[in-house]
Amino acid sequence: MSRIGVFVCHCGENISRTVDVEQVAQAAGALSGVAHACDYKYMCSDPGQNLLKKAVADHNLEGIVVAACSPRMHEKTFRKAAASAGVNPFLVEMANIREHCSWVHEDKAEATAKASDIVTMLVERVKKDKALAPITVPVTKRALVIGGGIAGIQAALDIADCGHQVVLVEREPSIGGHMAQLSETFPTLDCSQCIMTPKMVDVANHPNITLHTYSEIEQVDGYIGNFRITVRKKARSVDMGKCTGCGVCMAKCPQKKIPNNFDRNLGTRPAIYVPFPQAVPNTPVIDRENCTWFKTGKCGVCQKVCGPGAVDYTQEDELIVEPVGAIVVATGFELYSIAEKPKGSPIKGYGEFGHGNLPDVIDGMTFERLASASGPTGGKIQRPSDGKEPKQIVFVQCVGSRAREKGISYCSKICCMYTAKHTMLYKHKVHDGQAYVFFMDARTPGKGYDEFWRRAVEEEEAVYIRGMVSRLYQKNDKIVVMGSDISVGVQVEIEADLVVLATAVQARSGADSLAQKLGISYDGYNFYSEAHAKLRPVECATAGVYLAGACQGPKDIPDSVSQASAAAAKVMTLFARDELEREPIVAKVVDRYCVGCLACKKVCPYGAVEEKEIRDRQGTLLKVVAFVNPGVCGGCGTCQATCPSKSVELDGYTDEQIMAMIEAL
Amino acid sequence: MKHDFEPKIVAFVCTWCTYAGADLAGTSRLQYPPNVRVLKFPCTGRIDPVFILRAFQKGADGVLVSGCHPGDCHYMAGNYHARRRFAAFRKLLEFVGVDLERLQFSWVSAAEGGKWVEMVTGLTERVRTMGPLAEFKELEQAECWSGKLDTPELNEAYQEI
Amino acid sequence: MNNKAQQLDVTPLVEATYYQAVTAAIRSEAIRLLGEGKVAAVVGYRAGRRNNSALPAIVTSIDQVDQLIFSPACVNNLALYLTKAKNEVKGKGKLALVAKGCDLRAVAGLLGENQLKRDDVHLIGIACAGVYGAEADRGLPLCEATIARKCRECTVHEPQRTDAVTGILPKLKELPHLESEELARLEAMTPKERWDYWQAHFARCIRCLACRQVCPFCYCEQCLCDKNRPQAVESSPRPAGNSAWHIVRAMHLAGRCSACAECERGCPMDIPLNLLNRKMAKELKELYAYEAGLEPQEKGPLTSYKEDDDQSFIK
Repeated sequence: MSRIGVFVCHCGENISRTVDVEQVAQAAGALSGVAHACDYKYMCSDPGQNLLKKAVADHNLEGIVVAACSPRMHEKTFRKAAASAGVNPFLVEMANIREHCSWVHEDKAEATAKASDIVTMLVERVKKDKALAPITVPVTKRALVIGGGIAGIQAALDIADCGHQVVLVEREPSIGGHMAQLSETFPTLDCSQCIMTPKMVDVANHPNITLHTYSEIEQVDGYIGNFRITVRKKARSVDMGKCTGCGVCMAKCPQKKIPNNFDRNLGTRPAIYVPFPQAVPNTPVIDRENCTWFKTGKCGVCQKVCGPGAVDYTQEDELIVEPVGAIVVATGFELYSIAEKPKGSPIKGYGEFGHGNLPDVIDGMTFERLASASGPTGGKIQRPSDGKEPKQIVFVQCVGSRAREKGISYCSKICCMYTAKHTMLYKHKVHDGQAYVFFMDARTPGKGYDEFWRRAVEEEEAVYIRGMVSRLYQKNDKIVVMGSDISVGVQVEIEADLVVLATAVQARSGADSLAQKLGISYDGYNFYSEAHAKLRPVECATAGVYLAGACQGPKDIPDSVSQASAAAAKVMTLFARDELEREPIVAKVVDRYCVGCLACKKVCPYGAVEEKEIRDRQGTLLKVVAFVNPGVCGGCGTCQATCPSKSVELDGYTDEQIMAMIEAL
Repeated sequence: MKHDFEPKIVAFVCTWCTYAGADLAGTSRLQYPPNVRVLKFPCTGRIDPVFILRAFQKGADGVLVSGCHPGDCHYMAGNYHARRRFAAFRKLLEFVGVDLERLQFSWVSAAEGGKWVEMVTGLTERVRTMGPLAEFKELEQAECWSGKLDTPELNEAYQEI
Repeated sequence: MNNKAQQLDVTPLVEATYYQAVTAAIRSEAIRLLGEGKVAAVVGYRAGRRNNSALPAIVTSIDQVDQLIFSPACVNNLALYLTKAKNEVKGKGKLALVAKGCDLRAVAGLLGENQLKRDDVHLIGIACAGVYGAEADRGLPLCEATIARKCRECTVHEPQRTDAVTGILPKLKELPHLESEELARLEAMTPKERWDYWQAHFARCIRCLACRQVCPFCYCEQCLCDKNRPQAVESSPRPAGNSAWHIVRAMHLAGRCSACAECERGCPMDIPLNLLNRKMAKELKELYAYEAGLEPQEKGPLTSYKEDDDQSFIK
């Protein structure tokens, strides 16, 4: 490139006060390859930009250096101006002689010399610049939502309502997630199922939603706009097309003593079952591990009683490939159990709380099932050991959460509020009962939350004791709660009928393996990582993957729903265009020199590097090389610095461009 | 103030954090020595050790490499990879006899204009007291192969020519 | 290098019968493999023309198997035949490779770098007591006076993860770690002294690139140092380019080098190149607890990271 234009800006007096701009322009004019150099009062102004455009035409310029402010300020401005004059925008460089020179130095001679040096470096760089064109990527306007809890349901409905196809994948036989298990919800105490089930039905009836329940993500290929998802639809043993949901099979199943997981194992269910009466879809599934037919080959009652002949013992897992353009991950959370060892902790569980072996020490979700009108006790608060109504109930907060020594240092966020709710529900059902709460702090930052908590304390007479519980043990038919009240500095001992632990919200087991399939990152607790904690809280760093709900970190229902709608909005933004356009600052592999050591693949933060086979015309494999998918590449260039032979080059920051600047030092 | 020796300082910085931090130093009108020349990279992950070597060869008396703090990388992990790469590379340079006082690594965020000034000023002043990086400059001047015919075989072979 | 033979112990480290047994075992394994058609060629060693020397050998039929030997003169790293020297055995089909500990370390590295698949090679592991140093008196057996410097601190005498193993070594005598001692001596110098030490060596470099040629890891089709757009490393044998070459070479091998020291053996100018390699290996071990081993690693120390890696050198 031999026809370069250099434009030195005065920036009013911002630059010219300390830099002799005429001298800089003059020196630039003398550089080899510079066809035109001038200075102007305000390059970014309209007349300034016109000056640049005119110079391009007059001097037939092929490359441009604007010596002015930071490229972070006006690079786009000048690239656009150059483009309108017919110069590829990537042949425009900015020499930062304001922020990096005139503003930080006082001596005019020194500042001028430095400004000239900066211009020289950029002139040398421009000579090695290559014209680049934006990258376009086609978009499949179809979304995958993983997880059918409230977050997944909300995201799916929003996207589907916008007119796009949605594939909703749920691991359990029914959608609904944790919210379907709850009794009432804070801070309004409306019935969870009453607000949840209509949404579940909406999903089932929505023409734009394809629902895969009892299914898991097997494999994820592709990239933003162009994912290929393999879904494993587990064998349900019931033909969904034929089943009418009459429920006779469940009623006749002779195996009825299986603990019902949905009811936190308080009740039982048959081997052919729906998790709860309002399940969507209302098609039963056979639990093959507990089914007599599958264990012994004898029985077959459900098949015999099924009118439409929907029961099919020979069904097998099915793999379905779904092409989608965007993915919303809404896989939710799991509750920590005091019997399990927290991740990364040297201490196994809570031995001081009996390791989960005391039947009348339960967790918050179990209490929800006790309090739920559709629960195993029909909404009566009865303790698991003998069904007695507890008259003294103790709630313990922060079990696992905020306990660094137990390995979980974060706050689970929802427990303060649901414990306050539990005390109310309890009081409403057991009028002569007394609730105690051991707590560290009451964290109530949410609309109407503090008022709700105050109500629990002031109107519903829950006794809040600030302090920790050191031990729980069985004494006759009571659970002795030994704790401290640090506000008065005394030890407290309560003989409780029932103890409810607010156990930590944890990432789903298997969250890490799903993250690996999706190529998204996760933190030390296996919660999924957002691209930016403040400014991109919904996007993953992996383009085209969005987060909703508690899979990202503990969240309550309003937060999950908000984030789900935000994720849906991001998906719809993506789907608003037929093609994605991206800055062409991406890495490219030179097939000829690449030896396929795949060091680039190992360091790529985006998982953008794939393996590509090079074959001759006969189809014989010659070698395997790296291939950078331009749709996925983020443009950091770590691959190039790692590549021993520099067979991968980051456009816009090639070795030639950088070396040219170093040589000009 | 005039000095006898003005060192040449080269800074390799990432565009998202340190370059922006240097911009902030400008908008805040902080002052620092004019010896530094800045090369902008997308990420510290892009910075090849060869660039540092080349900068020394082309007359740099001191080199600064700076990027985003751990966890702040715009590309998530570029700076983590750079950290390992430079941890190893500086040990190598030290082993072949480069005084590591001339090579500075730092994390300067977009909000740390003051830290940028501190880094540049500190390195410039330190290198100024150390004097020019004579070793590489002499090396650039050295023209011929300086090997000696110090083994009988070589001598013999030479005689045969 | 510079083993003062006359002052050092010349008692054999292992008996001569050991080598006879290993040779016999290699031959019988080669006969079995070739006979059963398991492999198309066996890459091993044969005797050289000069006294007590050995060369790489590619044996493709049973009648050639008698050529195969093993002795302390079998210095070459045969892993080279799996990458660069592949052309010499190309199209022959599956290979069997006679491999000492350091060759196996190279194989593990190459597996981790996607240069071959484990099924593509049949490894005949040798329990190796060490090989001759460059200036060893080949009239003597393998002993303290003749053993290569790298072998004095070998950690992979016993092969692992191979398809066959030959030889059971007696307990080997502990020898002083001359190379580590030399490394420590250099580390104790001032930067200026070290600079002078290395420049004295680098200035003698003739850029024959034998070090690159014998290295199992220098398998790039286009070496960075041969590139001229841009030219990162000067290619003529001037001191500046020489220094750059050796620095870049050491950096590119950091975290990958199998410590076979073939670069040093191949160097006609006797530049102690393995000191650079050993230094990098030492630092990576201290920093990231990484050691080149016989187990293929998915990622090397410079292609992976931990969030809490040391950053005491970063302000």
